[in-house]
Amino acid sequence: MTHRFDAGIDRGTAFTITVDDAAVRAFPGESVAAALLGDGRRAFRRTARTGAPRSLYCGMGVCWDCLVTIDGRSGLRACMTEAQPGMRVLTGRTGLEPEAGR
Amino acid sequence: MMRVDLAVVGAGPAGLAAAAEAVTHGMTVALIDDNARPGGQYFRHVPPSFRRTAATAFDKDRARAEALFAITRHPQVTYLPEATVWDVPEPLTLAVAAGPRSGQVEAGAIVVAAGAHDRPVPFPGWTLPGVVSAGGVQNLIKGFRLVPGTRAAVAGNGPLLFLIGASLLRAGVAVAAVVEAAPIDRRLPAALPQLLAAPEILQQALDYRWALLRAGVPVLTGWAPVNAEGEDAVRAVQAAPIAEDGSVDRARARSFDCDLLVVGFGLVPSVELLRLAGAGLRFDRRRGGWLPERDEALETTRRNIFAAGDGTGIGGVELALIEGRRAAVEAAVQLSRIAPFAADEIRAGLRRRWKRLDRFRRGIEALFAPPKDFLALQTPQTVLCRCEEVTRQEIEERRAEGFRGAVQLKSTTRMGMGRCQGRNCMATLAALVAADSGASESAVALPKARAPARPIPIGDLLHETIPPPDLPADPHLPRKRRT
Repeated sequence: MTHRFDAGIDRGTAFTITVDDAAVRAFPGESVAAALLGDGRRAFRRTARTGAPRSLYCGMGVCWDCLVTIDGRSGLRACMTEAQPGMRVLTGRTGLEPEAGR
Repeated sequence: MMRVDLAVVGAGPAGLAAAAEAVTHGMTVALIDDNARPGGQYFRHVPPSFRRTAATAFDKDRARAEALFAITRHPQVTYLPEATVWDVPEPLTLAVAAGPRSGQVEAGAIVVAAGAHDRPVPFPGWTLPGVVSAGGVQNLIKGFRLVPGTRAAVAGNGPLLFLIGASLLRAGVAVAAVVEAAPIDRRLPAALPQLLAAPEILQQALDYRWALLRAGVPVLTGWAPVNAEGEDAVRAVQAAPIAEDGSVDRARARSFDCDLLVVGFGLVPSVELLRLAGAGLRFDRRRGGWLPERDEALETTRRNIFAAGDGTGIGGVELALIEGRRAAVEAAVQLSRIAPFAADEIRAGLRRRWKRLDRFRRGIEALFAPPKDFLALQTPQTVLCRCEEVTRQEIEERRAEGFRGAVQLKSTTRMGMGRCQGRNCMATLAALVAADSGASESAVALPKARAPARPIPIGDLLHETIPPPDLPADPHLPRKRRT
């Protein structure tokens, strides 16, 4: 399980994002990756070729492994995207994202 | 299109120091950074919406960070956060992707302070959720006060492992083991004279080691992770002794339960932009691999392109701050913004400190020098290329068909062609090719560097304003393009 720590920090008021069909709590300023990990989630997606689970690895925008679909845009790095109230995040299999505009 | 005296790529320690020095010599600066907030990895900090209600143990360097960040608000500085430099189309021009602010920055001089990222070392299970790079865990701790686990193991090679082990303890996480590939305890006496060049940094390192000892954390030196176990996420790690020649003794493996495996095998300088700029590189394995060639003024082989900080060879924050300043002073000299005697004075002060820290760095490099390679950690099923899911076995199958070189193996397996653009796998591929051919890694021909340096949204290119070429009025030359 993940834990948020540091008694010297007031994170402010949490808001909600939607991850697949679930409501997930996020604090202002957190990345989507931090919100997902903070919710105790492990896999952020499954790979296109073998369906293997993947999650945050480099945590600094280099490895492109923590990809999620946010508000219809696929292939976004969860570690580099700030969570916003009401965001809709999909964590399914890469390559099977809903195709917008077709 | 923006025109400045100095363009600085990266707002980490070296980049911030370069910008701060440049403005004191009257220069205008564009400070371009990938991240939303300044600081790079070392000075990563909680978002402004996180209010500090009490001083915490995680705020050690905060005052220094705040002082450095002030430069982003200086009137001579144009700070461009969340901006990606994706090409160097002209010798002193940078192509920047930043949504509607995209365009080109033309500069009198450039300081590349691009930093470094974790060296990816494949072993079975390293793609499982819960296996996180050392830098990634540091960023979650510094940036969000979050640890994605409650029982962690730390494994790899390099001084960061001990720092992370100690931070995890401080964050209230149980640490199952720290596994370091280099036999550092045996090497310590020989490295000590150099390490004593910076006793204040050595003291910090000893504090981390002491914290681990006090908490009863097993510290295995001369050992390496050989398997991360789990189906949907990591649940244990197996470690085994590793010899200097890279061979692994799996029969002596020990297992540690964990829900977080922090892996750090040292850092790799980010040299993609310098490669795109055509700057010469050299190979230094202990210092991170491919590094830019620089002269004493930190100038690369490209005129007026300087390089500073960990992106030029791992040296740590103090060295990066000095190098950033030095690079900006040299840029100011080139652009005649500083009197030579004034520059000499600054150089002398910086050189003294640089020499001391460089001596310390050499001690660290000797202490943590890695085994010959980490290829013995792999099994046939190990994924080498995370993006394209290429396994060791696929590489061996292509080799059996006659594909031997890095470029050949890349084009036949797609290894290195995914979104990370080879950052996660090219070093592995180079090591495999080197081991196969008996040549050194430095002799392996790598695929050509191409723009974009990082994937960018194609929409950003629509905001480009391409300037007309500046051609002389020679009737024999093609006519100037109308704008």
